[in-house]
Amino acid sequence: MSDAKIMMRRPTRLDKKFDLLREKTEQGTLKAASSNRALSKLASNKLAVLGLAFVTIMILASVFAPLVTQYDPQKVDLRMMLKPPSADHILGTDKIGRDVFARIIYGGRISILVGLGSALGAALIGVSIGAYTGYKGGWWDSTFLRISEVVMSFPQIILVLMLVTILGQSLMNLIIIFTLTGWGSLYRLTRAQMLSLREEEYVQALRAFGLNTFTICFKHILPNALGPIMVNITLSTAMFILQEAGLSFLGLGVPLNIPTWGNILNVAQDLRILQNYWWVWLPSAVTISLFVLAINFVGDGLRDTTDPTMQG
Amino acid sequence: MFVYFTRRLLYLIPMLLGISFLIYLGLELTPGDVISYLLPPEAIADLKPEELMAMREALGLNDPFIIRYFYWLGGILQGDFGYSLASGVPISQLVLDRIPATLELSVAALLFSTLFGVILGSISALKRGSLMDNSLTVFGMIGVSIPEFIFGLVALVVFALQLEWLPVGKRLMPGYDSYWDHMPHLVMPAMVLGLIMTAGVMRYTRSSMLDSLNKEFIRTARSKGVPEWRVNFIHGLRVALIPVVVLIGFRLPMLIGGTVIIEQVFQWPGVGDLFVNAVRGQNYPLVMMISFLSVTAVLFASFLIDLLTALLDPRIKLE
Amino acid sequence: MKIRFLLPLVVTLCFTTQLLAMPKNSNPLSDSRVRQAIAYAIDMDTIQETLLEGKAIVADSHIPNGPFKKPGLPKYSYDPDKARQLLKEANWNSSQELDMVYYYSDQLTVDLMTAIQAYLSDVGIKMNFRKLEGDVGAQLWTAPKDPQNGPSAVKWDLAYGAHGPLALQEYFSRYKTGDMSISPADAKVDSMIDVLTSTADIAAQKKIFFEMEDYMQTELFTLPLYYQQAFIYESNKLNRNGGIYGNPQYNYDWDVTKWTVEPDANGKMVMNTNTGPMEFFEHPWFNPGLFITNKVLFDRLISCDGGLAPTRPKMAKYYNLSKDAKTLTFELKNGLQWHDGSAITAEEIKWNIELALKVPNIMPIFKTTFSYLEGAEAFMNGSASSVSGIAVSGNKITLSFAQVDPNVLLTFTQWTPLPRKHLEGVDPAKFQQHPFWQNPIGSGPYKVKEVKMNDYLIMVPFENFHEGVSRIDEIVAYPSKDNDANLVKNALAGSLDYGFTKNVADVKALEEMDHMRVIPADIPYTRMVWFNKYAKN
Repeated sequence: MSDAKIMMRRPTRLDKKFDLLREKTEQGTLKAASSNRALSKLASNKLAVLGLAFVTIMILASVFAPLVTQYDPQKVDLRMMLKPPSADHILGTDKIGRDVFARIIYGGRISILVGLGSALGAALIGVSIGAYTGYKGGWWDSTFLRISEVVMSFPQIILVLMLVTILGQSLMNLIIIFTLTGWGSLYRLTRAQMLSLREEEYVQALRAFGLNTFTICFKHILPNALGPIMVNITLSTAMFILQEAGLSFLGLGVPLNIPTWGNILNVAQDLRILQNYWWVWLPSAVTISLFVLAINFVGDGLRDTTDPTMQG
Repeated sequence: MFVYFTRRLLYLIPMLLGISFLIYLGLELTPGDVISYLLPPEAIADLKPEELMAMREALGLNDPFIIRYFYWLGGILQGDFGYSLASGVPISQLVLDRIPATLELSVAALLFSTLFGVILGSISALKRGSLMDNSLTVFGMIGVSIPEFIFGLVALVVFALQLEWLPVGKRLMPGYDSYWDHMPHLVMPAMVLGLIMTAGVMRYTRSSMLDSLNKEFIRTARSKGVPEWRVNFIHGLRVALIPVVVLIGFRLPMLIGGTVIIEQVFQWPGVGDLFVNAVRGQNYPLVMMISFLSVTAVLFASFLIDLLTALLDPRIKLE
Repeated sequence: MKIRFLLPLVVTLCFTTQLLAMPKNSNPLSDSRVRQAIAYAIDMDTIQETLLEGKAIVADSHIPNGPFKKPGLPKYSYDPDKARQLLKEANWNSSQELDMVYYYSDQLTVDLMTAIQAYLSDVGIKMNFRKLEGDVGAQLWTAPKDPQNGPSAVKWDLAYGAHGPLALQEYFSRYKTGDMSISPADAKVDSMIDVLTSTADIAAQKKIFFEMEDYMQTELFTLPLYYQQAFIYESNKLNRNGGIYGNPQYNYDWDVTKWTVEPDANGKMVMNTNTGPMEFFEHPWFNPGLFITNKVLFDRLISCDGGLAPTRPKMAKYYNLSKDAKTLTFELKNGLQWHDGSAITAEEIKWNIELALKVPNIMPIFKTTFSYLEGAEAFMNGSASSVSGIAVSGNKITLSFAQVDPNVLLTFTQWTPLPRKHLEGVDPAKFQQHPFWQNPIGSGPYKVKEVKMNDYLIMVPFENFHEGVSRIDEIVAYPSKDNDANLVKNALAGSLDYGFTKNVADVKALEEMDHMRVIPADIPYTRMVWFNKYAKN
């Protein structure tokens, strides 16, 4: 039937695209779309782009905080306490006269460090153990599987609170604690990916070539599992930032003399501040929420691009 | 199958032993002891070091580590969960006293989030790509992005202090005779916790429903001329519900942790509140027992969920 | 009952030249100039007006303003230039970082620490602060093995905290050599403390107080920052009907039996308050009046006014302190009863004092009084089965002291006996863990009706109270610590009729509520910065 029929049909955009492709193939100029495809797919997800933009802006603002604000976030001016937003202090001042905007910008340094640092720490531990033991299997594999089961059976906050009491309250300890409590899911994820990938033919081929385990596992298999790992890292970052805020509410987070979003927000516990002085707490609440939201959008976008089965 | 589950059950024992040892080890590393919780700081400031030592000795805080661990473990095996260092009250009694409050809060939040989550998730899945779907997704994400204590505090200010619709917190009040009297106190903490959890359930329902709507048997049902609504709700939802049940079941013990912050905001006297106080006071028998009990709950719950899904879903076959 | 006691003047001072302005060891804080510089650097007046919202009094001594404070003590008003100059003289090494600790968990303390940090950095002193966790007492007060040369057994350089003693002597008695983690032995201080704790002569006491204050403030052993008031708050529904106000941290003649509350819809008078039990009732021998339960469930032998000066007998029909202040006699009123209806006997009081001698954590001033009793030492080391200094005949108790305790009457205004029947055989070391403290039976104007631990406690008038039955039908106490984190929430919701707080942020919020009134009370409660003056490893 068909050639004639196709010719008769009005050419669609798809036809044009295919024509273009054919043309390029014939001229030999067609290149394999590599990672660009994932990127372009991500770029087509408006929320993810918006999220990425916000996260980038916040990170840049925190890193280059001195360029963004002229105020020292620790500069106390008792005679200027609880002043509402004005041209001088665009988000007003807090209970001891510090500039709220400056505190949020500088606070971002620590909060993002805690969130991203812990997530990367957890990824480093989880992924390396997961990749190696998942590929090798055997005794080490089952040992770590048990350990991860033990860690993951704890309700998260209970484990975190326990570790906070053991290690004490400090910035470094908090990152360590989040890392210790967060590596389990990344380990499981990586291990599962390894288990399925190691039976692939290309891996068998590599093995037949006599490449060492380490190279096969980290250089040849792991990159193929990176997608879901990236998604998990972004989502963990968001979770840790929220957890930092929760812990500072309980008075068990980063020591209160270090400005973090959670510590700035903590003053909302004082009902007088909560009801009468919105500028002291609301901006940090909005910042945390927007930042976490933005990361979640990015994570979602990443998931969609890397997971072909997710068509939502 | 019976063999498999017996093996899984037996496997829990070494696991729990290992966990108990780790918990004990960890708590031993904590600085300070219960003395600082028994007495306010100003009071401690007035005590002499030898008086502090005498108190410590009396509380058994000077025995070697291993002895204390086995002493404690032996107690548990005999059904003795130990005593709170602060009050001398049996821990079993302290925890049992608090369980109803936490259970009430968790179950209410769970019901709320399941109902809402499943309904909204289904709507999202059926109207995939619609404005409704997108806005629900975004709302869900906003919901999980707000720190829960801020959510709680704002709700408290609005509904309890400004509108005066609901009590500001606490659970039982003098003069409550019937079990239902304190329900107004439950509404806010349960709603706040429930809303936070809704997003997760919604998302999960949506994706598992999408998944099952694409399955062969749905297409078959459709091709056989079963009406669309029946296809969606009877066939799609039923299969989609299994993972939702899994999700809920798994969250139940996790709620022990999830309620920690909400209980603090709403002065809800549950296990989470007890735990936070115990952690702050290094009341280690209490911290240990609560942690141990919550892990035990998680392990048994996941075991039960495994059992349940295996029984429910004929497609899962075990050796 | 006028006390006259001749004081042996032991204060002989070995100082001919003042060599004070020198570091005593490798720790720069042992140099009084550095300590003074820190004092000059901090603008307490501004802090008082802003951060503390005017709700504190800037301090110039440990001792609060009043007859026992020497007029014209050295003040260290804000003077950053002077601070810089002193630091220069003392060769302050500006790269050194001072470690400051505190133990309060409220936001105000963090704000205050931040402000002090900023002031110090302004004169070139680096300071970092942290909250002590865990065993706060040991971390603050472990004294070095060698009280002369150290090294220090605690890690910090500066500590922010407070002292709110029952008797003024206690402000200084803790500086005694060997007891303190922060001050190297000082013979002058020791000799002054010896006099302070062994004379009941007011004039003699006053003289030493003046000397001590002057010495401490000149040397700046410790930097007193501000005097904290306590703030009593009441709802408009509550009426004390003439009952007086006083130090709310302790017991005084507040006439709680006369108080009334506007009746509710059922015509019942219910007073809501906080500081109810959380897991157990805290026993009243440590904090005799911090919690509502200890205030109203228990009665005292002697009553006192709002400033805690003994005024009249209470459970006692009369009391008499001999002229040499070494013999105290009580006679109990007839027909005194515990809440369970059994009689309160003089023999029981003796048993109580003996038990108190063995309970490790009781209020220091009680401990001092009881340990000064004749035969107390023999009883405690086990060589005697009872304290020989306590004689009972009928309703009469005679206490004979081996040593004069200036605070003996004060002790009996706060200390309360407990029913022997219910505590017989209690292990003194586990006193607080006794089941009695789940539902105590006392002797005060109110008794426990219902305990719903973690939820609420209901107390009702004790029908056989010797000073008449109380008018308020029910006192409902919700669980909280003495610093109630939920105070503002609950007050706004109208579920607090009485309480007190030291948190000035909460006070401000309470003042803004139309249905609440706040009554400040002067209490001996001084917030200070302790300097660790020992050499450090």
